[in-house]
Amino acid sequence: MNAAVRFAALPAVALALVLGVAGVQVAAGGGDFRPLAPADACADRAATPSRADGIEGLTEQLVLRGVDDAACTLGVSREALTLELAQQDEPTDAQVDALRDGLRSAVGELADEDLLPPSSSLVDEALDGADINRFLAAGIRALPDSVIDDALPTEDVLTRAIDELDVRAILSDLDDADALRDEVEPAVMQAVRDELLDRLRNLV
Amino acid sequence: MHRLVGLLLTVTVGLVLADSAIVTLALPEMLQELDASVAQVAWVLISYNLVLGALAVPAALRRIRAHPRALAAIGIAVFAGASAWCAAAPTIEVLIAARCVQALGGAFALVGALELLVARMGERRGVAAWVTAGVVGTAAGPVAGGLLTEAISWQAIFIAQVPFAALAVPAALLVREPVPGDGPVEEPDVAHRPVVGHNVTLGLLSAALTAALFLLVLLLVEGWRHSPAMAALTVSVIPVAALVAQPLARWLQPPPDVEVAVGCLLVAGGLVGLALPPSADLIWTVAPQALVGLGLGLSVDQLTYRAMEGRRPRARHAAWTISSRHLGVVVGLAILTPVFTADLLDAEEPATEAIASLVIDAPLQPDDKIALARALGAELTGQRGQVPELSGAFASLDVAPEDRAAVDDLERELDDQLDRAVSLAFRDSYLVGAGLALAAMVTVGVGSVVRTVRDRPRTPPPSGLPDLPGAEVAR
Repeated sequence: MNAAVRFAALPAVALALVLGVAGVQVAAGGGDFRPLAPADACADRAATPSRADGIEGLTEQLVLRGVDDAACTLGVSREALTLELAQQDEPTDAQVDALRDGLRSAVGELADEDLLPPSSSLVDEALDGADINRFLAAGIRALPDSVIDDALPTEDVLTRAIDELDVRAILSDLDDADALRDEVEPAVMQAVRDELLDRLRNLV
Repeated sequence: MHRLVGLLLTVTVGLVLADSAIVTLALPEMLQELDASVAQVAWVLISYNLVLGALAVPAALRRIRAHPRALAAIGIAVFAGASAWCAAAPTIEVLIAARCVQALGGAFALVGALELLVARMGERRGVAAWVTAGVVGTAAGPVAGGLLTEAISWQAIFIAQVPFAALAVPAALLVREPVPGDGPVEEPDVAHRPVVGHNVTLGLLSAALTAALFLLVLLLVEGWRHSPAMAALTVSVIPVAALVAQPLARWLQPPPDVEVAVGCLLVAGGLVGLALPPSADLIWTVAPQALVGLGLGLSVDQLTYRAMEGRRPRARHAAWTISSRHLGVVVGLAILTPVFTADLLDAEEPATEAIASLVIDAPLQPDDKIALARALGAELTGQRGQVPELSGAFASLDVAPEDRAAVDDLERELDDQLDRAVSLAFRDSYLVGAGLALAAMVTVGVGSVVRTVRDRPRTPPPSGLPDLPGAEVAR
């Protein structure tokens, strides 16, 4: 073996091996093997498919969109805001305001996209969970859907319910489904009552 | 019998040098059983390398006045006794103290064993056996430690060394020829200077190899959550590749400096490969490890030989190589540990956000998501400071049978996010290791240029003045 080959053969083999290994690793995605980066909360996001239906499904969609909107307002990611809220003892005023505004915006977005269900489709479920006289509940159930939908537009009821919500209390009960229901249902019923009264006043 | 004596001394050299990294795979078990902190457990590794690195040269100086076979026998006996003490250590502090004593015995054992192997086998074969045992021991240490920890316990690592070392004590005492009159080995009365270049390269390369051996094991066991046995099996690629390196070098016959420089390049390339795994699948570590092993096989023994070649006293130059290697390991740990611990801490936030994102968007009932988020939060909080195990959160989740597949998918995706976060956290450390290997390569190049200039035939001084005496010894 001559001197030039002795000098160059091993470096050439080594260089080929190093470039080959690094090249294959990178080509297979080696540089991209990093955790999922949170999406920009202000960018449009595809709606998260929900396994729940009825009021629960609607609430989930509202909360997801509302948190996204609030995160955009606060300049953080949806995930960062969620984790902050879960780890803090007390939400800040800015967070509470952003969340309330976010939920309101979410109602508007769902209405614009024609994704809000008519209120008649939610009545049975709402009455099951509500603490009201059973004769009154039976009477409401007997009303035609068109009457209920005209009397209680979903968008208006939800917007009013959000105004009634104690966001701080809800955030402190996030990990307790029963406590959450105890917070949300009175607000929704109050919103329904107020909306009906408003409609009646307008009629008079 | 003579062959057995040589074999036992060679195995002892391998054991002493394997101990530099043999505990790596056992560190998590020690952490739990001895109720220690991560920093304390790291000292099980650091203390041994530090003491061995610091005492090797003084041990070699001591050899001048002591009998080499007595020196070797006492060193091996202390090493064996301290190994047994390590196995019996009830606390982390005692274990660290026992490791220091083990390294003290190891330093004398290594220096003495070199002299006895040369006495038994002759200069060339004796040094070759000593060097090769060191390379194989270094590369195979984590493998042996991992298998013993998985099969038995971390204590087994130390107990397993005792019988070999205990047999090596009488073997050392049996070596007589050609040690005249039980006195020190006769050597020419010269004292060559240590070869700074080769020893610096050796130190830098050892620091880089720490990234490969220590960090990879940590990534596999703590990061990707494989068993010590699986990790041991995986890192066995390095010693196997190191053994392949010699036939390759013999076949291509490169000049020694080229061989060492290529070895450094291969180690650097392997570390870059480890920094860029496309997934947490073990298969992606095999080729980079093969590069590291080839690099180790080409460079470490060649550097060790060349740092000792023709220099006297032989034991002192051997001790310099030991010091360079083990202090290199300590320097490597000192540089890399803060980098990867800081990166692991930094990885916590993106990993948690990735987990939150997947849970929020999971195709599950809202109540199940809330329950899972609560359980995951508890797991993440409870396991802060280490890579969390999420299976507990999923085990406690009670979902409808039709949602079970979605839950299983989610668990796999969350584990994948953890793997990604941990792998990314190790990236910088591997790249720093690759930088150390490249720095070692540069020192080879610089050393080669210096030697070329120094050894160039000189034209006679115009004034006719003779060269200064002593130049040959100084070399």
